[in-house]
Amino acid sequence: MILSVCVGSSCHLKGSYDVIETFKRLIAERGLADKIELRACFCLNRCSDGVAVKADGNYILGVNGANAEQKFDDEILPLLG
Amino acid sequence: MSYFIERGYTSLNHVGEELCGDRVEYAVNGDVLTAVLCDGMGSGVKANILATLSSKILCTMLSAGIPIKDCIETLIASLPVCKVRNVAYATFSVFLINNEGKGDLIEFDNPAAILIRNGEVSDLDREKSVILGKNVYTTKLNLQAGDAVIVTSDGVEHAGIGMMMNFGWERPQIKEYLKRVVKPTMSARAISAALAGECNELYMYEPGDDTTVLGIKVREHAVTSVFVGPPIHKEDDAQYVADFMAIPGKKAVCGGTSSQIVARQLGKEVSAAVDFPDKDIPPIGYIDGIDLTTEGVVTIRRVLELSENYLNPADTDAATLNKRDGATLLAKMLFEDSTDVHFFVGQSQNHAHDGLPIETRMKLKLVDKLADNLKKMGKIVTVRYN
Repeated sequence: MILSVCVGSSCHLKGSYDVIETFKRLIAERGLADKIELRACFCLNRCSDGVAVKADGNYILGVNGANAEQKFDDEILPLLG
Repeated sequence: MSYFIERGYTSLNHVGEELCGDRVEYAVNGDVLTAVLCDGMGSGVKANILATLSSKILCTMLSAGIPIKDCIETLIASLPVCKVRNVAYATFSVFLINNEGKGDLIEFDNPAAILIRNGEVSDLDREKSVILGKNVYTTKLNLQAGDAVIVTSDGVEHAGIGMMMNFGWERPQIKEYLKRVVKPTMSARAISAALAGECNELYMYEPGDDTTVLGIKVREHAVTSVFVGPPIHKEDDAQYVADFMAIPGKKAVCGGTSSQIVARQLGKEVSAAVDFPDKDIPPIGYIDGIDLTTEGVVTIRRVLELSENYLNPADTDAATLNKRDGATLLAKMLFEDSTDVHFFVGQSQNHAHDGLPIETRMKLKLVDKLADNLKKMGKIVTVRYN
């Protein structure tokens, strides 16, 4: 799975850095490096609902440093199938 | 051949003084740059007034083509006389140089200028003349691309007296230092900052004298175009990007949407780095054919801060710019590597940004201020709005 985190201006202000760091940690802790490729990207055109994250074709919106782990467990991991 | 004559200086104040007793002034008249370094006698307010008056008078008059003898006459008649020493006195070094690298260097009582050419450091051939009882030295300048000429106040030669060194920093050592440290890519500001920074260390960060280094460097024009923000009308995208790409030189694109527009018009993809060399600045991106891709407003705001530091003559680190975040990379590209900068500023609004400190008006203001600061650095700057 390609997991992209938006690092455009408004997502950055809403905490892209924390989201990326949390995802990096979770991927390492759970040994998912061969299943998930973490990327940054510029603008997913969901500026109002940042931080915007895209897991393959699926948008996961309203992510931030505080809920990143929960979003990862509830919305991203199930997509791995 | 028309060159760009770059100038830059760094000044350390005498320890405990708020004002510097050295002063640098510039004027541009047609294709001639006049750059003046004056050292007023003493330190603090008195020295500052002497240096300010002298540099302003010399710069204004010489730039207007008035002969040096008349300028010195005016200077002597204008300077207030020091009550303690009963003399009126300020030293000077003046460049009058056109964009072919030709002109004059006129020196009075400052340490002799130093030429840096092809990594070698040497003295210039000076001709002495006596003007109104003063020994004035003139050098005919005929500089080539890449040449730098450094003039200093005597604070450089006094650096470290009685502290790190018995007799201060002597001229052969200063030249040795420049030979070792100056790289061909360094700007006039970077060279001056390196030398003044070394003096500051020798003074153990408590300069016993005002210390100023002024550099002039002859450069080939180096153009960078910066794309900031999408144009208001989407249908203008193609023409706008075509105009942007048509300018020779380096290309920078700032902003998420902007980078997507440029990539789409070029038929390329945007990718982004996932590492944060600085956690406050979003990662850079990559587009084939574009030299630097960054996020927009947050990055530009930091570049503006860096430009303020770069313009602060007391900052000896501002020209170093060796961090790897998007703002530092863009700052280095603009301040150190470019002589001409063209901004393409799109004014389209992203309503998701409303109320946030990244909205369009804010961005336009930041770009305006940055353009102003680049002009203060002496660069040729244009701003085109769409």
